[in-house]
Amino acid sequence: MAFLDRVSRLLNHILLVIAGLFLTAMIVITCANIFLRIVGAPVAGTFELMGFFGALATALAMGYTQMQRGHIAVDIFILKFSARTRRILAGINYIISMFFFIIAGWQITRWAMVLKETGELTETLRIIFYPFVIAVAFGCFVISLAFLVDLLKTISHTEELPI
Amino acid sequence: MNLALVGVIGILLLLIVLFFLGMPVGISMGVVGFVGFSYVISIKAAVGMLSNDIWGTFSSYGLTVIPLFIFMGYLSFNSGIAAKLYETAYIWFGHWRGGLAIATIGADELFAAICGSNTATAATMGAVALPQMKKYNYDTRLSSGTVVTGGTLGTVMPPSVTLIIIALQTEQSIVKLFLGGILPAILLGSLFVVTISILCRWDEKLGPAGPKTTFKEKILSLTGIFEAVAIFLLVIGGLYTGIFTPTEAGGAGVFLILAVTVPFGKLKWKDLMNAMSETLKISCMVFVLVAGAVIFGRFMAVTRLPYALAEFATSLPVSPYVILALILMIYLIGGCIVDSLGFLVLTIPIFFPVGMALGFDAVWFSIIIVMVTTMGAITPPVGVNIYVVKALAPEIPLATIFYSVSYFLAACVLCLVILIIFPEIILLIPNLVG
Repeated sequence: MAFLDRVSRLLNHILLVIAGLFLTAMIVITCANIFLRIVGAPVAGTFELMGFFGALATALAMGYTQMQRGHIAVDIFILKFSARTRRILAGINYIISMFFFIIAGWQITRWAMVLKETGELTETLRIIFYPFVIAVAFGCFVISLAFLVDLLKTISHTEELPI
Repeated sequence: MNLALVGVIGILLLLIVLFFLGMPVGISMGVVGFVGFSYVISIKAAVGMLSNDIWGTFSSYGLTVIPLFIFMGYLSFNSGIAAKLYETAYIWFGHWRGGLAIATIGADELFAAICGSNTATAATMGAVALPQMKKYNYDTRLSSGTVVTGGTLGTVMPPSVTLIIIALQTEQSIVKLFLGGILPAILLGSLFVVTISILCRWDEKLGPAGPKTTFKEKILSLTGIFEAVAIFLLVIGGLYTGIFTPTEAGGAGVFLILAVTVPFGKLKWKDLMNAMSETLKISCMVFVLVAGAVIFGRFMAVTRLPYALAEFATSLPVSPYVILALILMIYLIGGCIVDSLGFLVLTIPIFFPVGMALGFDAVWFSIIIVMVTTMGAITPPVGVNIYVVKALAPEIPLATIFYSVSYFLAACVLCLVILIIFPEIILLIPNLVG
């Protein structure tokens, strides 16, 4: 469990740095497009690139956000329950959330494979985009891993209750 | 089984998952939407819908505006712009009774104009204003409430991340919603100022007058608002004139803040990195929330519950305003229990069609529900702004903050009533722009 926790933390921090780079790229592309449009030479495919970079910046940060308890949840009723009940409810929550993102990641990967096999290209830049789709699927698997770590911690009582 | 009934069961299931499992709002909506869609259509269709909607949401160009505006807010939060705004407002209003509290509202108003979040506004101005008000012997019954409620301006005053999300969810123009938020934010801020003035007239000790300043000092202090005004004009002006798309406005705003802070050493590397990681975290939370809402919205659409509800509401032999009052009551109670953004995203697929069927203007209806839900951010038991201020000033008892906020809730309710009676206040600027 400690090993999984370390892997999850390391992975999420690496992915956060990559996500930050894509956020920076989004700002650079936007500003470059504004300036170059003024001189009559806008950046081609800004629309497509911004969508892809935005997807990576946010999807790769999903695990980190879960690690930081960054997703909005409602805890006012749960706080009334005993510690044991809260632990059981938290466990159910983590199992459902983990499977939800595993299904999502699996389905997105399947779709990415279809895009790869059919050689699907973007409309403007005419580039392959299945790697971006795979990256989003990877983000789903990484948040599933974060939920698995939370589940194991809840079962082994190694962490204070998150809710 | 009747489809509308399936929809109702879906909503009940969602509430159970939300309240009794503590599952994040976005994931709850996604899970219930997925299960419900599987039941109504098929599992095969639901898994297809799941992958399409998650990829479609995360790669949407429209949503790329969100990280950029959040980053803009966090950069202004970390770069000392708020402190300068507060100093200027203090020089102008500090010599009045309650002047520091009024200065806080003034600075809140300006800071909210470059920062899209109510908690960031409350946290920033709280960190700047609370020590100053303590120094000048302001009673915490006034100072804490001022900071808590002043933060709500961040949700209504453009650019607001909440308004962006509503615009995207309801397929409205972001620019129109932004323009619709300007006058209500000014009205709400003015009513807060009136509240402070009345309270200090009633009890001088709540906010004693500060030292006087000369006219020259006042004029010179205006340099403190240049950066904020320049950013606001660039972002809103660029949007209004059509020079920028909303995403470009966010990118240009980030660029301008970096340009006026980094070369002058006003933004440390650590603060920049902190702003970036917070931006990614909040953006990711918002994207998961929107993806969940899209999936839940698909389930609602196949059950046709929102349309059935809209038809039912319009067939009732009562004034649309009675139904509006009921809807607002739900938003008020919901805003007290669930985070305002989460509750808005959760309920818009259900209540927005009802509002439209009742014949309300989309911009007006959106601003009204934002204002009501935001009141929840300053109302116990959730009241996120209250806990932000409590974290900044742990010595102030929670009971004092709740007591202090209650003064301002009356101003919020009055503002809402005025906006319902005079919808032109919201619609004036959007209609002028056309």
